[in-house]
Amino acid sequence: MKAITKLSELASHVRDRGFKARVAVAAAEDQNTLSSIARAVSEGWAHAILHGRQARIEEVCRADGLEPSLFEIIDHPDELSATLEATRQVREGEADVLMKGLVGTDKFLKAVLDKQKGLLPPGAVMSYTCALDLPKYPKLLFVSDTAVLPDPDLAQTQAMINYSVAMARRFGIECPKVALISATEKVGPSMPSTLEHALLCKMNQRGQIKNCLIDGPLDIFLACDPAAGEIKGVKTPINGEADVLIFPSLESANSFYKGLMLFAGAELAGLIQGTVKPVVVMSRSESAASKYYCVALACLMAEEQ
Amino acid sequence: MQITKLEQMLEVLKSRPKKRLVAAWAIDAHTIVAVSEAVGMGIIDAILVGDEAIIKDVCAQHGIDPSIFRIVSAISDVDGAAKAVELINAGEGDFLMKGLISTDRYMKAILNKEKGLMENGAILAHVTVAEPMGYHKLLVFGDVAIIPEPDLNQKIAICNYLIKTAKLLGIDTPKLGILSASEQTLPKIRSSYEAALISKMAERGQIKGAIVDGPLGFDLIIDKQSAEIKGVKSEVCGDADCILFPNIEAGNTFYKTITCLMGSELCAIVMGAKVPAVLTSRGDSERSKLYSIALAAILA
Repeated sequence: MKAITKLSELASHVRDRGFKARVAVAAAEDQNTLSSIARAVSEGWAHAILHGRQARIEEVCRADGLEPSLFEIIDHPDELSATLEATRQVREGEADVLMKGLVGTDKFLKAVLDKQKGLLPPGAVMSYTCALDLPKYPKLLFVSDTAVLPDPDLAQTQAMINYSVAMARRFGIECPKVALISATEKVGPSMPSTLEHALLCKMNQRGQIKNCLIDGPLDIFLACDPAAGEIKGVKTPINGEADVLIFPSLESANSFYKGLMLFAGAELAGLIQGTVKPVVVMSRSESAASKYYCVALACLMAEEQ
Repeated sequence: MQITKLEQMLEVLKSRPKKRLVAAWAIDAHTIVAVSEAVGMGIIDAILVGDEAIIKDVCAQHGIDPSIFRIVSAISDVDGAAKAVELINAGEGDFLMKGLISTDRYMKAILNKEKGLMENGAILAHVTVAEPMGYHKLLVFGDVAIIPEPDLNQKIAICNYLIKTAKLLGIDTPKLGILSASEQTLPKIRSSYEAALISKMAERGQIKGAIVDGPLGFDLIIDKQSAEIKGVKSEVCGDADCILFPNIEAGNTFYKTITCLMGSELCAIVMGAKVPAVLTSRGDSERSKLYSIALAAILA
């Protein structure tokens, strides 16, 4: 397939694949959530199962000019019951995507992480990857971890790479170029992340991490600016054309993407990684477009391969 | 020209200005005979530091003309080592050799803070050059004798010594393999972990002048076919010029395996001081002693 280079191509790609994901929404009682899922449903590439207080859901729909009959609505007395049931549906194969509505992130994630009834396989690393659509970059940039792992260790970083690579491959990038981001391209004990980067590169060279081309440590310039390698005299197979950026800490990744959203007009589609099925957690501060892209991304990733 | 046999070192030296060897407490036949052979071949000049009467006596016993050496008197082994180091510091010699003095006393003179041969922060390490039977070129490796368990910094220093040695043997861009038990990068095994770090440092130009790859198992370092079977693509595999060993046990066992079991020739020096230092043992063959002197002269 031709690689998707803009998030605006994402929804039509999902629709064209003909797989209509069933999205179970936990506590679908807010306008944010309902409007993003409504657009997906009305475009015909998602089916929505809304869990929550039915009266409240219908009220929010009406206030926003949405037709409640677009959705399958399941009435619950409270957000907890709605969350647990939505999670159960996904775990038991009655739905393909779990999406957070008007429920606290901690309560929602508690349900997702529950050992018996949750969605994370034993031993799996939960992480977060988002695809950024940047006006000044010729393709999408997959960035991790912007939201979940504060200080990833080597194994977690390896998981972040694998998740992000799997996602990029779904976008048609067969062998994503993965840049491990640091402040410098030099390896040294004074910056411990650079040591892990050196290891991960070698693991990639030895085929221990597959389906991608890894280099790091690299700074953002070497990762994303084709002119930087020559200027700095650094030879890297990434060559300023990174598809995936792996950051050494949550602070750095989070600041990177938020800076781009704020100052560079970026849009994103992000997803929790590591769960048996896609889990959508959106921040209220994200744009309507980004929320819609998140749903499209989840539906793309939900399709069995 | 690239030297592929140890013997070629002798030819190379004959065409160059002679370097000056200073032998510390050179009062034994092993040392004097080896040095006289090198002097006789015209590849070096030599200063013997020791008891003049004993030196002359040994020369007489072995039919050596003592006038081919400059003799500097010393009264004991410790005095001999100190005087030898002093001669180097005074610019009267280009490299050092150990005579009938224990290794620790010899090293002590080199390592002496005020009067020794060490720059601040320098790391002393042992480098061997071998001509292993069945291999298509020389192998430069270390450390088999001085640093028991090198840390990352020491490993980097050893790598730089191996590279420097290989380059002075005429190899433009040496290939350096970093030994571990396997080519897989195993984060919990130090030799494997540090090998990956060092090879990335070389990629980034933090170690210069060589193609460096590791971790690699020994088979992959010296045998291309093994690398192909295991699917490892590396310029180093099967064509290594240098090997960094993770610890003294591994290096020393390799050293002794190729000498004791395979009968291969080798020579060795200590690097990291202001000048190369020869550290032969009495067990070494005559050839090996001569080659060690030649190697030090090439590096001096």
